[in-house]
Amino acid sequence: MLASGPIMAEAGKPLKIGLAQIDCRLAEVEHNASRHLEWIARAREAKVDLLVFPELSLTGYRLLHLTPRVALRPEAPLLQRLAKAAGAMPVLLGFVEEGETGVHNSAVLLARGETLHLHRKLYLPTYGLFQEARFFAAGQRLEPAPLPWGKTGVLICEDLWHPELARRLAAAGVKLLIVPSAGPGRIGAGALPDNHEGWEVITRATALLNACWVVYCNRVGWEEGCFYSGGSHVVRPGGEVIARAPVLDEHLLVAELDLRESDRLRGRLPLLDDERFDIEGPAA
Amino acid sequence: MIRREQVAGRLVLNAPLAVAVLASFIRDAAEASGLPGVVVGLSGGIDSALSAALAVQALGAERVHGFVLPYRTSSPDSAQHACALAEHLGIACRTLEISPMVDAYFTLEPEASADRRGNKMARERMAILFDMAKKLDALVLGTSNKTEILLGYSTVFGDNASSLNPLGDLYKCQVRQLSRHLNLPSEVVEKVPSADLWPGQTDENELGFSYEMADEVLYLLFDQGLRPAEVVDRGYDEDVVGRIVSLEQRFRYKRRLMLIARISGSAVNLDQEIPRD
Repeated sequence: MLASGPIMAEAGKPLKIGLAQIDCRLAEVEHNASRHLEWIARAREAKVDLLVFPELSLTGYRLLHLTPRVALRPEAPLLQRLAKAAGAMPVLLGFVEEGETGVHNSAVLLARGETLHLHRKLYLPTYGLFQEARFFAAGQRLEPAPLPWGKTGVLICEDLWHPELARRLAAAGVKLLIVPSAGPGRIGAGALPDNHEGWEVITRATALLNACWVVYCNRVGWEEGCFYSGGSHVVRPGGEVIARAPVLDEHLLVAELDLRESDRLRGRLPLLDDERFDIEGPAA
Repeated sequence: MIRREQVAGRLVLNAPLAVAVLASFIRDAAEASGLPGVVVGLSGGIDSALSAALAVQALGAERVHGFVLPYRTSSPDSAQHACALAEHLGIACRTLEISPMVDAYFTLEPEASADRRGNKMARERMAILFDMAKKLDALVLGTSNKTEILLGYSTVFGDNASSLNPLGDLYKCQVRQLSRHLNLPSEVVEKVPSADLWPGQTDENELGFSYEMADEVLYLLFDQGLRPAEVVDRGYDEDVVGRIVSLEQRFRYKRRLMLIARISGSAVNLDQEIPRD
């Protein structure tokens, strides 16, 4: 019944977004999938239109040599099961994708038993404690997704630290940017974890400079002594944080987004229209 | 460019947040292991006191089992402070003298040096804590801080052995900050740090510099990636910096305990990095 119904969200109406700030068990895909089902049910009760899970939510993040063992084809039965469970409420989740030519850190948007959109992480951090390029192949394609509520872009974690991607999506008409993440926490003297400061600078600047909504969904929990610090948040076009999840705990953060705010701000602040491509100097 | 007077400020933590994070670390490890509790050796010093207090925050007092493991030459104050701390935290505390076990061995090795005797005591305590952990369905809670780990100021497979260590990324001054925040007894927080392996021993005498100095120098070398000469340029004593650098280099082996000879293409931890959750 749910699988065949129309997608609930529509253009011109507020979009009720849910961010599932969850913990994941490393490499325990079946366990994580059953927890996704629980959170999908919870979000449905909250009448969410679009539910977002963190980066690699089906597998956990720090997989290293376990990476190929948990890879799934996009048409895998387990993903189909989740796509059916999503029903009329599109669900974005993270998984290790077994592609034609490599294994990718991917996020897939599922609804009504189908795949609506697939994004392969474009920038694979391989520095400090990050080792992604050793185990994943980088995506090659940036694509805005035409969805019932409006054009939407997905950028996974590090992708957002390369601002030209958000810029290109916004120039293509994207009004909502979804950023699933597995961001490790650091603590200093501040009220929030130190890493949150960097993230909020970037999500807010992205929302201001591109006049779009930015939703950042981080995970929580521990892997090998490293914690993920949560703090998922929603930023409106212009840069105001309108909702923020707690730092350490699992949480369903729900916020209503009026995507027309993006159009209105673009009218007042025509940065995208003013973009120049004829300026001489160093190459982009 | 960081100046010397800024360093101490960089080591200040948001104590409530740090406590919440470290308690969640202990809770997560206990849940992941399926074991309900932790055992912790209480020395009467600040590190084991903070570890135990974090475990109480994480699991509740009834799931934290304290052990006081004195040798006959240990300072009586140590055991007394350990028991007072256990009472303060409301945790169970059992005292087991390790003198009979340690002495039994050294009747066979009567010429052993103080170092060897100290190491044996640390390993005897480790053996008891792991056995008690087995008995009580618990994990062994570590108490080594980042300063000790970087200086190699520990006994390999002794006090540096644990199932999980909430203090391993805290410099000594940060251990003090969190202990004050948790209102741990002042006789524990303010006492002069000592491994108490022989009478009158203090860490700072043995190391030849203060923890305060070590924390700052290690922060600049390790966290900030400065070269020793750049640390000295900021006004730190050249001899002390040299000694800290030499300890850090000499005892690196204590931080990576399984040295495996790789002869296949799939050696454990080298070619095959299989993470644990």
